[in-house]
Amino acid sequence: MFACIYVPDFPVEAFVRAEPLLRERAVAVLEGKPPLVRVVALNEKARLLGMEAGMTKLQADAFAELEVATETTSAARTQSRNRNASSHFCKSAVLRQRSLAQEGSAHSALLDVAHAFTPRVEDTAADTLLLDLAGLERLYGSTAAMAGDLASRVASVSVEANIAVAANPDAAMHAARGFAGTTIIPAREEAHRLGVLPVQILLDAFEISQEKVGGKSPAQRREKLREQMLDTLERWGVRDFRMLGLLPEHALASRLGDTGVKLRRLALGEGLRTLVLCEPTMRFEEAMELECPVENIDSLSFVLNRLLEQLCSRLETRALAAQELRLRLQLERRVADEETTTVQELAGDNFLDSHNVVLRPLIERTLRLPVSMRDPKVFLKLLQLELAANPPGAPVTKIWILAESAPPRSAQRGLFLPITPEAEKLEITLARIKAIIGKRRAGIARLLDSHRPQSFQLDRFAVAANDISNKGCLTASDSNVLAPLAMRLFRPACRLQVHLSEGRPMSLELEAKEIDRGGLKGKVLWSAGPWRCSGEWWGEIAKPGDSNAEQAGPWDREEWDIALLCAGKNAAHEKQENVALYRIYRDLATGHWFADASYD
Amino acid sequence: MSSVAVTPLTRTVFARDSVSTLRAQIESTLGEQLSSTLLFRERASPPTISTGIAALDTLTGGLPRGALSEFSGAASSGRTGAMMAALALATQREEVCALVDASDSFDPASAAAAGVNLDRLLWVRCNESSDAQQHKKNPKLGSPASAGFAFSNALEQVLKVTDLLLQGGGFGMVVLDLGDIPVESARRIPLTSWFRFRRAVEPTATVLLLVEQEPCAKTCASLVVRLHPVSIFTSDSSASCFIPPNRFSDAQKIEQQRKSRERGLPYIPQPNAVSHAALFRGIRFHAELVRSGVQRKWPQSADAQFELRAAL
Repeated sequence: MFACIYVPDFPVEAFVRAEPLLRERAVAVLEGKPPLVRVVALNEKARLLGMEAGMTKLQADAFAELEVATETTSAARTQSRNRNASSHFCKSAVLRQRSLAQEGSAHSALLDVAHAFTPRVEDTAADTLLLDLAGLERLYGSTAAMAGDLASRVASVSVEANIAVAANPDAAMHAARGFAGTTIIPAREEAHRLGVLPVQILLDAFEISQEKVGGKSPAQRREKLREQMLDTLERWGVRDFRMLGLLPEHALASRLGDTGVKLRRLALGEGLRTLVLCEPTMRFEEAMELECPVENIDSLSFVLNRLLEQLCSRLETRALAAQELRLRLQLERRVADEETTTVQELAGDNFLDSHNVVLRPLIERTLRLPVSMRDPKVFLKLLQLELAANPPGAPVTKIWILAESAPPRSAQRGLFLPITPEAEKLEITLARIKAIIGKRRAGIARLLDSHRPQSFQLDRFAVAANDISNKGCLTASDSNVLAPLAMRLFRPACRLQVHLSEGRPMSLELEAKEIDRGGLKGKVLWSAGPWRCSGEWWGEIAKPGDSNAEQAGPWDREEWDIALLCAGKNAAHEKQENVALYRIYRDLATGHWFADASYD
Repeated sequence: MSSVAVTPLTRTVFARDSVSTLRAQIESTLGEQLSSTLLFRERASPPTISTGIAALDTLTGGLPRGALSEFSGAASSGRTGAMMAALALATQREEVCALVDASDSFDPASAAAAGVNLDRLLWVRCNESSDAQQHKKNPKLGSPASAGFAFSNALEQVLKVTDLLLQGGGFGMVVLDLGDIPVESARRIPLTSWFRFRRAVEPTATVLLLVEQEPCAKTCASLVVRLHPVSIFTSDSSASCFIPPNRFSDAQKIEQQRKSRERGLPYIPQPNAVSHAALFRGIRFHAELVRSGVQRKWPQSADAQFELRAAL
């Protein structure tokens, strides 16, 4: 058995998928360059209004409500709809410019559903998929159960489609194009069930299947042949499949040739071909063109939420999760020309015109996740934090979200293992912390294999899996081993004025411009040193003001351990003397003294 | 009909029986509405974890989970070493820990030497650079009154980050290192913040540890330990005796020790009494238990001493 998924008015459905509120409205899709803009697709409600395909924009505007809203969010439309009488809106249509990106996303979503159902899928057309259901009875049950399951899966990706199941792919395709909803044609009943369908469906489907099999004739020639065929059949009074099937084969062959014979056999429900299978793609991308540019991040969040839900739904159908999210925003040109900080030229038809020129500036934000996730709420929160920290800088006209797929993570939790933060919560917490303290200020410290003092790097924080093996956990009794003394570093090192006697520091104080951290002024009670420390003599000397000066270039210094008697105040604001131990050093290149750390 | 003579003993028995009867009546009437009986139940002491230092464990009973603890002391008082020891044990137990570093003074090398598993430690480096740059541009800010203002940005970040970490949950230990924040600035943290942190951590198994110069969480802290140094060890003296041999007369040594004790200072050998080539070996600290809401029994002693040896 074969199944066909057909989406009527596919360009309209691509918009409705992204904006579900449009499903209650009459929607027409326009295409073309002005002044040759025409209606290319419209839904049933638009047809009832009197609109038809091929109308000019001027004619369509007569039916359309003029959309003057400044925001394109569903919430804004809901508000505007509630403010006005509902009867007024029933009679008006919504016009949209055709979006190939959104149609591509909708088509990819259908392919994901199909490939999750069966590995044998034919990508017949943008609005049509054929599936081979052979051998799936044990997995899904009866034919009716399979059809129902397939219909619910298609609905889960927010697409309304016709599902038809028949004994051969052509009959399934005709049934899906002709009958709404879910249709099941038992074997040997194809002629009877398909008989009521108009011949236009037969000719449309024949054209598509011929192109798929190998016909590469130009589109105009195919269209001309189709019109001739249709005209001929209408003159003969052949209106439907049944009437075409009753025509004698030899007479039909003499008048219409081999094409006529094929059409007759198709009208009788016979199958003429096998499926041309397609490989499943692992590209998960959702796109949306905004009717009006959006600058407010809160408004953008509604759109992002919708796209992320669709993306996660597609990932779920393929039992995958996302390891990385890439957000691309197309900005309004006039503002972006002046202020855009990042302009990228990207390959692909979506971003370049025929002359390989960037149409409008794009910016990209990438979220690399520590573990694979599939929660749209978490993704939305992370994107909101990212956009709040790095706003686009211009109104947004188009949005793409691309997810790098990865197998979902699995974790074996033990009863006696210590608790760890949830990965999703931790990621949001880290993003919020980053928004407060800045980038690269939180993470895991990794010591570098270097003799340079304070040589480390800060890596991204990720919770490693618990090592279940018993490493001999320390208990309180093990704490009899003396703990080592720790150091508290001064970042950056504090400049000192040191008074020497016989080459040894006797007293010191902070230089005027240093912040008083408390305690770095007084008499040196005891000192040990100097301990010479140098390295990377081959490196270039860091320039003054270089933020990375401490981690690059040669260093050469003499270190001292000192015990400093310093004056301070206790909790009662009374004067009190304290003794503290510090490590200070003299930079031999500059001769300046610095306080490096305190022993604590 | 015989009558019962009412004596004081009888009155007591009669009163006790009346109370029991009354309680039983109340419980039977409101049994469904009362979450528990009217019987007094002794509250269980919270679970504790080792501090990593045996003397501190004996003194405090360990760091309580689901509570706020404080290690306070001036510079070189051992609070950072104690913090590292606690973090070392927690990370070795495979717990995820977080360190909110108000003045960016954390030394990863010291932590690694102390046994801290850095892969399990989230280090949050709060940024006081904006304040530092402002101060360097305007040296007039060096007055004591403005020292607190200079760290206000860092403290604000510390409080916000701590809120986020506690709300996120899942951490075995969260350490707030305010060790280099001036006392005046730390005192400006409102008590409501500490109260909020305590409430956030109560239903969890997280240990919230505060390291600072002076205790500032007041009654919100379940455990407060005050630390200060006692003596230092160098390679130029024996391990137990830090008076350099054959340099001073006995009378001079005794006099030096007496003066140090009077001033409450650790005894430090005189500069010219210790060779400049001597290696610094370690410090002996004194810990005083200021408050403990953990132990039911009063500890045998309110103070203890411990040593930390230099590892670097």
